[in-house]
Formats: sequence, C-alpha cells, structure tokens
Amino acid sequence: MAFLELKGLTKRFGEIAAVENFDLSVERGEFVSLLGPSGCGKTTTLQMIAGFETPSAGSITLEGRDLLAIKARSRGIGIVFQSYALFPHMTVAQNVEFGLEMRKIAAPERRQRVAEALALVHLEALADRYPRAMSGGQRQRVALARALVIRPEILLLDEPLSNLDAKLREEMQLELRGIQQRMGVTTILVTHDQTEAMALSDRVAVMHRGRLVQVARPLEAYEHPRSDFVSSFLGKTNRLEGKVVERAGERAGDLCRVAVGETVFAAPAPPPEIGKDARPRVIVSVRPEKVEFRAAGAGLVDGTVAARIFLGDHWLYQIETPLGVLLVTRQNVGPAEVETGGSVGLAWDAAQVRLLPFEETA
Amino acid sequence: MTRNGPFALLFNALFVLFMAAPLVVVIGVSLTPEGFLEFPPSGISLRWFRAILDNPDFIEAGWTSLYLGVAAASLSTALAVPAALAIGRRRFPGRDLLLATFMSPLTVPTIVLGIAFLRFLSQIGLSGTFLGLTLCHAVIITPFILRLVLASVTGLDRTVEKAAESLGASDFTVFRRITLPMIMPGVVGGWVLAFITSFDELTVTVFIVNPSTTTLPVRLFNHITQTTDPLVASISTVVILFTVGLMFVIERLYGLDRLLVGGEAR
Repeated sequence: MAFLELKGLTKRFGEIAAVENFDLSVERGEFVSLLGPSGCGKTTTLQMIAGFETPSAGSITLEGRDLLAIKARSRGIGIVFQSYALFPHMTVAQNVEFGLEMRKIAAPERRQRVAEALALVHLEALADRYPRAMSGGQRQRVALARALVIRPEILLLDEPLSNLDAKLREEMQLELRGIQQRMGVTTILVTHDQTEAMALSDRVAVMHRGRLVQVARPLEAYEHPRSDFVSSFLGKTNRLEGKVVERAGERAGDLCRVAVGETVFAAPAPPPEIGKDARPRVIVSVRPEKVEFRAAGAGLVDGTVAARIFLGDHWLYQIETPLGVLLVTRQNVGPAEVETGGSVGLAWDAAQVRLLPFEETA
Repeated sequence: MTRNGPFALLFNALFVLFMAAPLVVVIGVSLTPEGFLEFPPSGISLRWFRAILDNPDFIEAGWTSLYLGVAAASLSTALAVPAALAIGRRRFPGRDLLLATFMSPLTVPTIVLGIAFLRFLSQIGLSGTFLGLTLCHAVIITPFILRLVLASVTGLDRTVEKAAESLGASDFTVFRRITLPMIMPGVVGGWVLAFITSFDELTVTVFIVNPSTTTLPVRLFNHITQTTDPLVASISTVVILFTVGLMFVIERLYGLDRLLVGGEAR
C-alpha cells in the first residue's frame, strides 16, 4: 500500500471534466510533480488533496485512511501557495506560529519549533518583520516555514516559485529540494515549468486535458516519452511526422526504418502503442542535443544554418532541411562548429530516435 | 511620488479654501463677545462657550447624539460585515436584490424616509424611543459601512484564508484571526463614517424624536428657528473639534487615507 493513493479521481464543473480518472500512488518521502500546461487540472487535483475541492468521483487515501472523510483543517497538510498567502497583519514569527497555536501546542514548545523552522529557511533574523517589508523570496521562505512547522504528512506546493525571478528561482529550487530531503516530507508540487519539475522531483506526473498521461522519473520521461504531448512538453524536441516503412526484425535491439518525406533512416522498433499496421504513421522525435553535425552530404540529411543563437553555456542552431526546420544544440566548449548560412550534414544515432503514436496536433 | 503642477496646486488650494471657509466662519463667530452673529468677530471671548454650560439641554442632547451614533454605527456594522462577506464573495440567488435593499436608503429622499419611519415606529409602538431612533439611524447609515467593508472584502486574497484553514483553523477562527483583521480598515472606516453620519443626521431624525430623545442637530435646529445667538456657533465649534479629534485618533491608529480611500496597507 502506497503512502498516498489517488484512485479514479474525477472533478467535473458542470459538463466539463477538470480532472478525469486520475490514478497516482506516492511513496512516503517521495517528491512528485504534477506537471502540465495551464488548465490541465493539476491545481484542481492539488485542491482535492488539500480538501478545498470535493471530487465528483474517486478516492484519496493516506496510509489507507480515507482522506475525503476528513475536513481540510484536520488533514494535517502543509500548503505553499503561489501568492505566498501570508497573514499580512502578523509578523513572520506569528505567521509560522499560527499552525502550532491551532494545534494547541504549549507556548515554550511553540517558540522552539518556530525558531527551528525559521532557521531551516534562514530567516531567524527577520522573525519580527511584517510580510509587506520582505522580498518575494523571503516571503516564499516564510510560507515554506509556516507549512513545515506543523510537521505535515504531506507538503503541497502550488507553483511556489513562479513569482520569483529566474536566478532566485534556481537557488530556491536547490534549497527546496535540500529541505525536502532533510525533512523527508512527502511532497507534491504543481508546476507548469518542466525544468523545475525535472530538477526537483523523484517522479513527474505529466497531465494533459485533465488526464494523467505519463508518470515516470524525470530522465525516463524525458528520454522515453510515451506520447507526442509528453515529448514536446518536456524540453525541446524535433517533432516530425513520418511513417514506418520497414518493420524491425524479431530480435531485441533490431531496428526498423522510418520515412519522413523523402528521407529514410533507422529507428528503434516502434513501441506496442503504435499498433500492428504494416506501415503505421508515427511521430518521430529527435532531441536537439542528440543531433550531430557532419560535413555536407555525409549525414542523414543536409541543411543550411538559418540561425545561430548564443545561450551562454550552449548554442542553439536552426537548420533548414527538407524535413523542415530542425533544432540542434551544442555545448559551448570551443568555437562554434558551423556558421550562419553554411551548409551542413545532420546525423543522429538510430537508438536516439523515438517513435510515438501519431496525433494530429500535440 | 509625482509633484503637482501649478494648476493642480491652484485647484487644490481653492478646493481646500472652499471646504474650510465655512468652518473658519463658524469658529470665528463662536469667539465673538457680542450677543449676535458677527464675522469677523470684534474681539476674542469665550463667553458663548461658557454659555453652553448654562444650557444643560444642549449637553444632554449632545450625549443622546453620542450614544445614538455609537449604538447605531455598531448595530449597523454588525449587520454590514456578514452582509458584505456574503455579497462580496458568493454568488447566490437574490444577491443583487439584497445589495440593492441595503443600499436603498441612499436613493430614497430622506424626508420620505422620515415620514415612513414616523408612521412605522408608531405602528410598532417605538415612536420617540431611543431604540426606535437607533433602528432608524442604523438603516440610514448601513449603506456607508457596507460600501467600505465591501471594498475591503473584494480585495481579499482568499488563499490566505485557505492557508489558515489548512493549518487547522476552524471557520470561526479563520474569521476572527484572519478575515476580520484583514478587513478591519474597512470596518473601522465604515464605522466612523456611519457614526459621523448619524451624529449629523437631522432630516429624518426631526420626524421621530420626542423631547426626551432630542439629538444635538435637532436641538440646534429648534434653537435657530427661535433665536440667532452665537451659542449655535460655539456648539458647532465644539462638534467640529470633537470630529477632528476623532479623525486624529483614527489616523494614528489606522491611517485615514487607507480607511477612506482604500490605499495600500502600511
């Protein structure tokens, strides 16, 4: 029995299903992200776990106990909101202390636990400040301390870093992950930011239109997406529409051949989702960092460098090819390999090609 | 902070002058040593302030107005806060009707209200009583409180209440410890505005008082219809100073601009 179990969770608003038949098991101490574009139902799912929304169907259990029978205030869940949701008329220490007061914990212990929680987020010095006199990052830390001080069974994070600027967000990601691991608190993060989800989580649960489309470790989801949507949503990819023209052999590791337009190249055997057709239509996905440069004529396809963008640690190239515009990224470890306007050949390892079930639009 | 241009400064100065001029005249008149209304005063004397003490009926009327203002403003605040919470954050059938009902005293001519209250109070046997007066004033001043509280409720971030709930607070605790303090500026601002409105009210009150519950404005009105001595001016000056003092205390406690304009929390 998993620590937290969501089964068949469904939430309908009138005719519209915001979340449909959502299943997820979370282990104790695990960090899981609900990842998806806005409107995919991730926040609604979080609200149902927190107890602010009542599911239309399905169940939520925590260590086998039915969570839906318990009111939001008794669930023992810590939440950090995107807006921080600090109590503006209370000092930092009073904010953090609130949950302990509600638990009728004696004052000396309250003081000690508030001090510990503030030390955890490095805010000891600001205990007597009011939230309005603090920066976004500091407010975020207060919100985190306030949620953690009650020693929650589950920590829910609703887009907690979205209001911070990029540099601070990265720092907070590292810190958040560190605190989560030290405390060992089971955490569910809702985010639309795929880098954040991959950086923080043990597993990402990708949602699309109210449904869970894939749940996997970040590397697994990135390298082996099970659908066109996951492939495009996690990181950048070159998405091509093609057709399997020659099925793979029977042995494991045998390659098949796919055609994209006139270009034919090898790919791993299509996954079972693609079906038994002799020549099925497929989405071919090749990650930009998996594409290599060759001399013109020596690769799988030739192209012209349309644009080259310098991004500090790497270069992003746009290459015009008969397949369409392909993206290529290269680590910045020396001088740029090709110039804008130059002709170049592109190649990739057959094992790096992903074949996905055909969908009209991602 | 942007600086005002010369035209804006001129406009503001004229506006302040326009607002303050009657006050200056009233205060000036109250200081006259003569027995008639005179401005500018021919000398400075506290004669008419001492005269207040010789007219206990004015002092009594003053106390009545004070008690009435406090009672009516408090009663109407107790009504307006839950009403504003319901109207401001929920969608329910009859919501617009409820809001329109609460605001209707602003649209009905006060003289009509006065006649209606007179008839209604005698019907229910409360005519001329302090309780009847309180109820009528509560009706008249509720729109002011409701408007201000509604403004603070509408700007409230509901996730703050959710955060409190998730930390274990019951509905009542959330209201007492989180919601109420957050809308407090609107509540206090509304109370003060309502108190002052009630303290000033004449048109409706004149219909429904009897000699034992005469309020200060009604007493002053009666006095003016008979004589025109500077006593009226000295009493008005006391009322003005009282109001200014009240505003000063509120400003110290909460910040006046924030209460009445709904500015950023300090």
